[in-house]
Amino acid sequence: MSNNTNTPKTIPEYLELLRAALKGKDPALVQDALYDAEEYLRAELAENPGQDEATVLEKVASSYGAPEEVAEIYNEREVAVSDAFRSPRASIPQSKSSTGVASVGVSVNKKPQNPIAWFFGVAADPRAYAALFYMLLSMFTGIFYFTWAVTGLSMSLGFMVLIIGIPFAVLFMGSVWALSLVEGRLVETMLGVRMPRRPAYVNHEGGFLTRIKEILVDPRTWATLLYMLLMLPLGIIYFTVAVTALALSLSFLLAPVAYLMGYADNITLSWDGVTMVDQPWVMLPMFIGGALGVFVTLHVARGIGKLHGMMAKHLLVKIA
Amino acid sequence: MTDTEIHLKKFQKELSAGMVSLVLLSVLGQAKEPMYGYQIAKRFEGAGEAVLTGKQSALYPVLRNLSASGLLDSFVEPSVSGPPRRYYQITKDGRAVLSEWANTWNATRSFVDSILKGDSHE
Repeated sequence: MSNNTNTPKTIPEYLELLRAALKGKDPALVQDALYDAEEYLRAELAENPGQDEATVLEKVASSYGAPEEVAEIYNEREVAVSDAFRSPRASIPQSKSSTGVASVGVSVNKKPQNPIAWFFGVAADPRAYAALFYMLLSMFTGIFYFTWAVTGLSMSLGFMVLIIGIPFAVLFMGSVWALSLVEGRLVETMLGVRMPRRPAYVNHEGGFLTRIKEILVDPRTWATLLYMLLMLPLGIIYFTVAVTALALSLSFLLAPVAYLMGYADNITLSWDGVTMVDQPWVMLPMFIGGALGVFVTLHVARGIGKLHGMMAKHLLVKIA
Repeated sequence: MTDTEIHLKKFQKELSAGMVSLVLLSVLGQAKEPMYGYQIAKRFEGAGEAVLTGKQSALYPVLRNLSASGLLDSFVEPSVSGPPRRYYQITKDGRAVLSEWANTWNATRSFVDSILKGDSHE
């Protein structure tokens, strides 16, 4: 039963198999499982200096467990909700990079010492682009959330005098909870803030009325509604900032290109009707300014993404 | 897998659920200095291993849970052989809980023993 055809030969292979076996599971759980396994495997390897990796790993299958078995064990233990809410450790080597991890880990989390490297390094940070994209998207989600919240609230209040008032309000509150999970997914994938995958615990005891009361007194319901209302102005601000910053820096960056291609007459830079540019040499500072602008834009996006993620976490995740 | 084996596996699983925490806590209660996952797991190798954990990977989540509920303290130290290791040590709460658990275990064990031997003749 346990003899599977693909026995891992190296530690990265073992971890890859474990990752595959845990595919689709809670990222925090996967991260923990990989972390524990790597600690065990490397320690085991260090304890047996004479043996090669493949032999040690064969032995490990019976002591620590084969990747599939380990995955199963962690799945069963996934109950610890507190773990799911803990912010993920940033020092875990992700994906294939685990080949040369011998001494990485501790220092990964630190910012580069050099401020120039830090400033330009943002271009290599996927988080910055994702946050920029979130800023563009947020206007549309913001309009939708705002409309949904206002319509639902006012219809719930209006229907209160009718017999369908309470069921309608309950349905609306349910939709608010569902939307908060959806927004949680967006925030987690784009802004990298750990958000709950499952709805908060609801007490299933008590009658219909007590449960309605619980929804109404739950601070998260109201915090989520507040978040949905806030998303309209915030979305508009984010969208405007992102579009303006992108348009400004990209046009500055590309103007010299257009100039070189012979479209010089189409380039104008004016302030209050006063033309600022009519000399070819201006193209160089424009180009440099545009390039710097792109980096600044990415920094702004990453910063706003961080702030928004914090806010989303406070308003959408239950305050314990 | 035969029927008997399935029943045995199921029983071991149920038995281990509570026992693993007790044994982990007591291993750390006796430890002179903080221990990390691998060291702790190695203490389980041998006699009780099969019954208690099945596989040693099952210990890690339990360690995390014990630490989350404040019975264990943990800190991270870098290591030369792999990722930084998380060391665990028992807390004051942990010691109090351990002695309660040990009492419960002793009472349970003598009761189960007496039932199994069948010498509880009224």
